[in-house]
Amino acid sequence: MPQIEEAVVRKSVRVGVPVERAFSVFVEQMETWWPAEHHIGAQPFETIFVEPRTGGRWYERDAQGNECNWGRVLAWGPPHSVTFSWHLGPDWRFNPDLAKASEVEIRFTAEGPSATLVELTHSCLERHGEGYEQLRSMLDGPNAWANTLAAFAKAAGAL
Amino acid sequence: MDAYLQSGLEALGDATRMAIFQKLAKGPLAVNELAGTLPVSRPAVSQHLKVLKDAGLVTDTRDGTRRLYQLNPEGIALLRAHFDRVWEKAMSAFQATAEQSKPRGKHAADRRSRRT
Repeated sequence: MPQIEEAVVRKSVRVGVPVERAFSVFVEQMETWWPAEHHIGAQPFETIFVEPRTGGRWYERDAQGNECNWGRVLAWGPPHSVTFSWHLGPDWRFNPDLAKASEVEIRFTAEGPSATLVELTHSCLERHGEGYEQLRSMLDGPNAWANTLAAFAKAAGAL
Repeated sequence: MDAYLQSGLEALGDATRMAIFQKLAKGPLAVNELAGTLPVSRPAVSQHLKVLKDAGLVTDTRDGTRRLYQLNPEGIALLRAHFDRVWEKAMSAFQATAEQSKPRGKHAADRRSRRT
């Protein structure tokens, strides 16, 4: 049973590459693996940048050169760890306020010359308070979820 | 609605699941009640309910001999369900790409481009 009280999501994967490679693919080639539909700009991203330093920007850039921020590098510890601030609530809009951002920490542990354990912890989800309230009001409002979903369905051409 | 909100609702990316979710938004229902208003079989409805339940979007309670399904009102659970799906997909894709990729990187490319 998941602990629904704890506002944390954890994921881990094992990859058959050296720890340096795993770290590099994660932070330097993010656009090669990040699900393409998860972009916040009006256009799909062409590149996702992580500036390689604490305090660095994390952002996407589309083919026209437009940039959209995702968050910041809170801690930079290549090739073993990187921590980002995550500024996208459930409404999927960027909120620059760090106090309302959650944190994503990724740890890379060598388990052999070509084996790396990658553990992701997305914590402090409750800081997306406004989004949380928005979610709640969407649920509580008269047919509010239904209207949202109907709009979604129409936009997506799913119905 | 913007593209990102659409992807946020991807958990409901199936038209029937979305229809079930819409109906449950108006109040708790049993499987038979849902199946009676949708052009799909009762086993299909049960399967969609299981997906929604596994995603943390729907909960069920026993009401006498029937089981009632309702939207999970707990915001944190919704947040978790949402981010869990985002990262499940992203980390799987990362794993597949990392094991196929050739060594390269922007940071090295940036250094190269600065030299030329």
